[in-house]
Amino acid sequence: MSDNYDTAASRGLASCHVCCKLAPSAGHTCPRCGAALHLRTTNSLQITLALLITASILYIPANLYPIMITDTITGAEFSTILGGVVLLIKLGSVPVAAVIFIASVMVPLAKLAVMFYLVWSVENSDREDHRQRTKLYVAAEFIGKWSMVDVFVVAILVALVHLGGLLVIRPGIAAYSFAGVVLVTMVAAEYFDPRLMWDRLDNKNDSET
Amino acid sequence: MSDLIACHGCDLLVDVGDLENGSQASCPRCGHFLTRYRRDAMNRVLAYAIAAIILLVLACSFSFLSFSASGLESVMTLRSAPGSLWRYGMPELAIMVAAFIIYIPALILLLLVMISAPLMFGKKAPWLRIAARGVFTMKNWAMVEVFIIGVIVSLVKIAAMATVVLGISFWAYAGFSICFALAMVTLDRFQCWEMIEALDVNQ
Repeated sequence: MSDNYDTAASRGLASCHVCCKLAPSAGHTCPRCGAALHLRTTNSLQITLALLITASILYIPANLYPIMITDTITGAEFSTILGGVVLLIKLGSVPVAAVIFIASVMVPLAKLAVMFYLVWSVENSDREDHRQRTKLYVAAEFIGKWSMVDVFVVAILVALVHLGGLLVIRPGIAAYSFAGVVLVTMVAAEYFDPRLMWDRLDNKNDSET
Repeated sequence: MSDLIACHGCDLLVDVGDLENGSQASCPRCGHFLTRYRRDAMNRVLAYAIAAIILLVLACSFSFLSFSASGLESVMTLRSAPGSLWRYGMPELAIMVAAFIIYIPALILLLLVMISAPLMFGKKAPWLRIAARGVFTMKNWAMVEVFIIGVIVSLVKIAAMATVVLGISFWAYAGFSICFALAMVTLDRFQCWEMIEALDVNQ
């Protein structure tokens, strides 16, 4: 990749993140829609990293504490996210267990790992796999909100199952932490600016020519 | 008028020129989606948005799921899902869930109608810019399709315990999620703003 590409930044233009307008980067607000205008997201890496660490910490109580409590005549049963998956496998519904395992265990972990790697790669990776890394970012950004499935399942079951003293489902404290993990990772993905990865490549090409 | 776009993935300047009806442009360097042009995009957005609003009103009016075992029955409506979280002492979570599945999508749809109707007829409206800004800022925070998957997972989880019946609201919400998704896909960020800007230039 030795050919030089013409980027907006190299011409002193900033692209508005709300309306795609190209405007001189010296301005503070977009002339078309009025949103704040930045050449690159301000402090992108620091904020993303801080949010990722927050999410990783929240992930611990999200898995240790019960997300749902089932009260039956025989007593209360506390279920964690992983416990729910194990129960479903025992009940024989392996496909649903797989959906929950993927959405609430694999996706948050994979997303955290991918985002940590991308933040690290901006300043430390010399591999020329920018195209793949951009795709990885788009995938991580897209997949983020799907982890809310678990919180919605809790909300639905709590609203639906209240049969007097026979069977009642209550929300557990882990629902809070888990919703926190999903929200914080979504905001982290919004703060990460994939153009920073390409800037390193563009700078290298500039210094060679 | 220039048709330059800076790629949101890698900042490459791309001249998309005049796109043919129905075709889309992607970044030649990183492959990121840039824009899609449809001559009748705004007509479609308006149609999908109105259909989605009607279905959402229906979805809020009837029972969503009902659950019965040993002669006892309980019913869930769309609004009782966040409502019961509130009653169990989780107001923040209740507000979040209500916002993601009802209020943010509803607000987006109202704004979509306010944007697409004037643009369809080529008329200026004082609220166009602020409405479009609202839509593109909020669009990542609507979780309509995620909620549908949540309903399906819940069904499988409790189908073994008792009889679960799908209510009218469930079908209305399923239709709503399809119309909402179609409206969001049809609304193209770049084209929408070019249309708004063109109105000011021409008049």
